[in-house]
Amino acid sequence: MNTKENTFDQTQYLTFQLAGEEYAVGILQVREIITYGTLTKVPHTPPSIRGVINLRGNVVPVVDLGLKFGLATSPVTDRTCIVIVEANINENPTVMGVIADSVSQVISMSENDILPAPAFGTRVRIEFLRGMGKSGDKFVLVLDIDKVLSADDLAPTVPGGTPSEPGAVATL
Amino acid sequence: MEFDFEAILQTFMAECEEHFAKMEEALVALEANPDNDKLLEAIFRGAHTLKGNSASLGYPKVAGFAHVFEEMLQRFRNRTLPVTQERITLLLRSLDAMRQMVPEAIAGGDELQPQHVELLNQLASGEPEEPTTAHHRQPGDAPGQPLGRSQADAAVSMERVGTIRVDTQKLDRMLNLAGEIAIAQGRLRQAIEQSGNEKNEALEAQDQVERLSLELQENIMKVRMVPVGPTFRQYIRTVRDVAQDHGKSALLILEGEDVEVDVSVIEHLKDPLTHMIRNALDHGIEPPETRKARGKDPCGTISLKAFHEGANIIIQVSDDGAGLDRKKIIERATLIGTVAEPEKLADQELYRMIFEPGFSTADAVTDLSGRGVGMDVVRRNIEALRGSVSVDSERGKGTTITMRLPLTLAIIEGFGVGIGEDTYVLPLHAVSECIEMPVSERSHGRPQGVINLRGEPLPYVRLRNWFELTSSRPDRENIVVVELDGAKAGLAVDSLQGARQTVIKSLGDQFRDIPGISGSAIMGNGRVALILDVSALMREVIRSQGNRSAHSALANHSGNGAPANTNSAQYH
Repeated sequence: MNTKENTFDQTQYLTFQLAGEEYAVGILQVREIITYGTLTKVPHTPPSIRGVINLRGNVVPVVDLGLKFGLATSPVTDRTCIVIVEANINENPTVMGVIADSVSQVISMSENDILPAPAFGTRVRIEFLRGMGKSGDKFVLVLDIDKVLSADDLAPTVPGGTPSEPGAVATL
Repeated sequence: MEFDFEAILQTFMAECEEHFAKMEEALVALEANPDNDKLLEAIFRGAHTLKGNSASLGYPKVAGFAHVFEEMLQRFRNRTLPVTQERITLLLRSLDAMRQMVPEAIAGGDELQPQHVELLNQLASGEPEEPTTAHHRQPGDAPGQPLGRSQADAAVSMERVGTIRVDTQKLDRMLNLAGEIAIAQGRLRQAIEQSGNEKNEALEAQDQVERLSLELQENIMKVRMVPVGPTFRQYIRTVRDVAQDHGKSALLILEGEDVEVDVSVIEHLKDPLTHMIRNALDHGIEPPETRKARGKDPCGTISLKAFHEGANIIIQVSDDGAGLDRKKIIERATLIGTVAEPEKLADQELYRMIFEPGFSTADAVTDLSGRGVGMDVVRRNIEALRGSVSVDSERGKGTTITMRLPLTLAIIEGFGVGIGEDTYVLPLHAVSECIEMPVSERSHGRPQGVINLRGEPLPYVRLRNWFELTSSRPDRENIVVVELDGAKAGLAVDSLQGARQTVIKSLGDQFRDIPGISGSAIMGNGRVALILDVSALMREVIRSQGNRSAHSALANHSGNGAPANTNSAQYH
């Protein structure tokens, strides 16, 4: 058992499975976990944005990290769920959903348990990782969810070239 | 129970502000109509209530001042003291003094400030001692020129309406809940219907609850809508004071005070309106002598108008002043160097430059304007509301600034269409009719096509292809005919779901720049539907074609060659 001093530095993380690998997100950024329901696809968005859902009257975008990281997509099963996180995107707290193949557990790790991610070898781009967390004899990939969800490749794609100037809308 | 003095103070302060605003408005109106007893009564009532409320909360300083204020009004009432411009100014200044006094008194200050004592003495004597403005009316000016034409309305608005202030976030939460209740009820209904027992009592009860909750939802939404009148009327005083201080004479005409707009829109309108009105007075309206020399009425007119246009509210500020000076704008633009050859720009484009930060053509910076900040603020506020602003001007005749805003950030009348599993909502005002897809067009399934609509060619786009949806195309399709600036176009969809009132949900920043999608809505089954911005969608379709044929097909049909409406309402 940890001593009292030790538990003080411990932070809790939610771990989940995605394409056969275990990822962790700081529990303070996790709002809730909901079962996978019908998503509404938003046109002209990158494939990694799977769509939007109704979360008690609020419309929340849902991101498929598998697609975003270039991993294989797994089929939707009973265990597929959406982890609702609150990410800090461009200084704005933003509620978003992240698809997980299954949610595993909540683990406690101290900063010492999180090692810097190696320069290569991980399946996820290094800037998206806070590090490799030691959980028992396994490693979990600790995500920097703010960076993952603020990345530019979540920006909309527009058919037939660049979107019209926002300013152009204001003329007339 | 804890006695919540904090809450009482909050109410007191809010009420005071309400009284001050009403009294102010009535005073300005009284100046123009010194014999209007109704107005006088209204001011009197306001002062009296203020006195009573302050006294009962233990603020003798405010109560005492209000008492002397009331005394002077009493002399107006008894006709022992005539109403003059100077006396109205004194009363208005005293109102401002009370405005300062209320927070002071709450903070515990019992002493009157010296300048307030001075005012008090003048009120007691009924004689303003020093003229408060350097300006005296020009001899040619009609004395008692009315400064606001809202007197009749003002008197009406004095009838007290019980109001409370509610945080709009609380309303939003209530609205969310009402929506969720409706969804839960949908499920309940399904469950009851599936239980097989027809003529079910539960079903009847369910019907009733559904009706009630729908009504509740509508009512919550209506709470957000407020008339623009009270906001507009605040400027009656602004125009009066600013005009008097600057040796000008101007009349503020209000139109469309009953037009209702979302409370969050109103909040963002105040600053832009102030800047525009001050600009109109400073740059627009000329001094009376100049106006006379130009053959105009020495008293200038500024008008503030609100009206609906489709799902938008239009707010216009116009003046009959000097108009924008093309030459000066060109000079200034050349100096700043934002545009290469400003002299080649069309008027509209050139005038738009006044909205650039740091752009001012005023020869001198006055306390009113000329620092080049104002119009930039206007544009930024309006754009934050997803609106647009444009300016129109004629040299020597005046300037009109038009702001086009979404009526509400909360609701639209929508028309639901289905494509595969998905529902999309079109703004109902854009939909002119719906027709079945002709057999000849069904088979090929091309992304776009043209059909014959009563002898006219109607270009259409298949939304399934446009949105790159993977669902398969059904045998029967429908075309929703939308109308933009008189030009018609078709949107091919699977099914028609009919009109419904739709609560607009923001899609968030991630989806801000998707052309053609203006927001989202939650359907009865709990799913999210996207709200389409028809004009932006059609613009994108035309643009992606990269040729002008579709565009000219649209334009020719309208017969006026107008491009697709660029006024796009977005609700992010």
